Amino acid sequence: MTASALAPLAFAAPLTAAAVIAALGSVLPRRVTDLISIVAGMLTATIACGLLTAVAVNGTVIHWFGGWTPRHGVALGIAFTVDPIGGALATFASFLTLSALVFAWTYYDHGGPEMHTLMLVFASALIGFFLTGDLFNLFVFFELMSVSAYALTAFRTEDDSAVLGALSFAVVNSIGAFLVLIGIVMVYARTGALNMLQIAHALAAHADPLVIVAFALIAFGFLVKASIVPVHFWLTEAHAVAPTPLCVLFSGIMVQAGIYATARVYTDVFSGALAPHAHQIRVVLLSFGVLTAVVGALMCMMQQHLKRLLAFSTVSHSGMMLCAFALFSTRGLAGLVAYIVGHGLVKGALFMCSGVVLNHWSTLDVEMLRGRLRRTPWLVSLFGAGALALAGLPVFATFVGKAMIDRAADETGLAWLPFVLLFAAAMTAAAVLRALGTMAFGWGPKSDSQPAQSHPTTEAPESSDTGIPVVMLGTATVLLAACVALTFLRGRTAAPLSAALRFVDRQAKFAFTMHATPTGPLPHAAPQALHDALPLGIAASALALAIAAWALFGSRARPVWKLGRVFQPFRNALQLAHSGIVTDYVVWLTAGAAVFGLAMAAFTAGML
Amino acid sequence: MIGLLAFVVPAWIFVIGLYGMATSRHLVHLVMCLSVAQSATYVLILEVGYRLGATAPVFSDVLSTVRATDPVVQALSLTDIVVGATVSALLLAFALRIYKTCGTVDPEELRPMRG
Repeated sequence: MTASALAPLAFAAPLTAAAVIAALGSVLPRRVTDLISIVAGMLTATIACGLLTAVAVNGTVIHWFGGWTPRHGVALGIAFTVDPIGGALATFASFLTLSALVFAWTYYDHGGPEMHTLMLVFASALIGFFLTGDLFNLFVFFELMSVSAYALTAFRTEDDSAVLGALSFAVVNSIGAFLVLIGIVMVYARTGALNMLQIAHALAAHADPLVIVAFALIAFGFLVKASIVPVHFWLTEAHAVAPTPLCVLFSGIMVQAGIYATARVYTDVFSGALAPHAHQIRVVLLSFGVLTAVVGALMCMMQQHLKRLLAFSTVSHSGMMLCAFALFSTRGLAGLVAYIVGHGLVKGALFMCSGVVLNHWSTLDVEMLRGRLRRTPWLVSLFGAGALALAGLPVFATFVGKAMIDRAADETGLAWLPFVLLFAAAMTAAAVLRALGTMAFGWGPKSDSQPAQSHPTTEAPESSDTGIPVVMLGTATVLLAACVALTFLRGRTAAPLSAALRFVDRQAKFAFTMHATPTGPLPHAAPQALHDALPLGIAASALALAIAAWALFGSRARPVWKLGRVFQPFRNALQLAHSGIVTDYVVWLTAGAAVFGLAMAAFTAGML
Repeated sequence: MIGLLAFVVPAWIFVIGLYGMATSRHLVHLVMCLSVAQSATYVLILEVGYRLGATAPVFSDVLSTVRATDPVVQALSLTDIVVGATVSALLLAFALRIYKTCGTVDPEELRPMRG
């Protein structure tokens, strides 16, 4: 079998398994459908690994569906164009899906085979999304991924807040998808092409208003998926109610797919035409990225619901990833990919831990859990390690990604950016540590000022098992261990760097796509020394511990810390904005799109 | 003039849909408004592939030299309609489910419980 046949197979394998489970699920016993889905997950991961190896050897792998190769410089067919970054993220997605499927082994006693079917469809859409080289195909996979995600979020239909969360999720993301589609059609109207590289070739260096509007629409539509402030509301609603295996996939890779799509479309399609405006576009993207990182971190600190807390942490980290892309440098891209993988592993492990908590104590409210985790040292240490990994402690893969992003920011002349990222990372870690301090040791002030809109005190447990299942804790441990192991790999910085060099090499990819000129092996990249990033990494962890300690014990020194009162109006305003009403979210999205579009237009027109 | 209109009409339909969603007091109405916003994309897609005086791109009974509209956009709009039908069906099922458990479909009254 040739390497190019592996590309469609990676996408078709989970889809086929999904069809088999959907057809036979009602007659097969539950354990058999579980096994089929896990075997399918393993098979997909193996195929994805094979594909990634082929990409590493050949540089780029392409597959034209139905043999519709380009004729006379026109690509009518649809292609999977697998570059090392898309291949790596598809491989990561397949492994994360496998871990979520294994985690679900002891999780659902009342879940039907539909759960596995939908998860496999979701995984195949995600993989197709990372591999495709066709702009409209990208939209189709985006929609397939979204629709299965909506259905999965509402999976526990007896829980009305789950259905309501899924509704907000579906409405907001659908509007985002329409924006993407309108942008794609505008590009098609101008170029008559849908293959990303052919579009770039047709656009050449002409940046007229239509091209800029099209880019703004596509980028903002994908950033809705990446949960950028002010369109992040759907994410926290969906995460708070979705089944845990889903949260692992949502926070670990789906949100990041939005960032990836923005990066891929900008690099492959628009980077040539918009090159004169790159600086202005960077300003807009960086503003949204910094806003998201900071607002997400602040909201994260205020949460009492464990999954909602982790969801806001994802919002914050997604903002950091947008900042990494907005640097428009190969080192920034390499850091982005390393950070996506590191963050996905950590966030996956943390969501699994919260799933264990929900399963065992039937609540996710930190106050209700005060002191309850005392007798589960393993769970507590997993939470603690995960929190420090979020801060970027130098033994976790998040540190490697952050070190590269920080260096890229310095090289771009944005020496302040690493400190913003440090603050956001430390805050999100501190939020987890503070919750852990209360849950494990009973530390911290009793929250007497419960909001009037009180939450349900108990939620339905997601399994009837009484002990803590070994499979659940084991999967979370494996994810964290993988996150540590990646840090000590030999190619930890060189591999992402050389992948990013190929990712931005549009000429080579175009020649390969249109004229089948081999791209050759991946370009060589010098590894980045990490020891000078150590102080910042350790400082972030120390800051996280300090903030968590202040949040837990600061109340005893109240008179000294009156300063906190100054921020109360901001806190109230932020909490008011998160109203939970779907129509409000539509208004926020419209306002966000308007600001994004106008800023993009004003900047590129040279008005500001 | 016609070129400008080609963008103004879909933009207008899209904004009407958004306005309807933002002010909606009934979930079924909200889903319908989402469909209205999506129809803006159908209109835009079909406009993009339209050629003045051209026939349908079916070449079984006419000469292949006859001027025809772009077949690609028709495939795109078909895909788009399939996606739209899926999303609407799913959302209407959610609305029905919410009505059964909460007894209301007014988004203002459906403030989710939170902590």
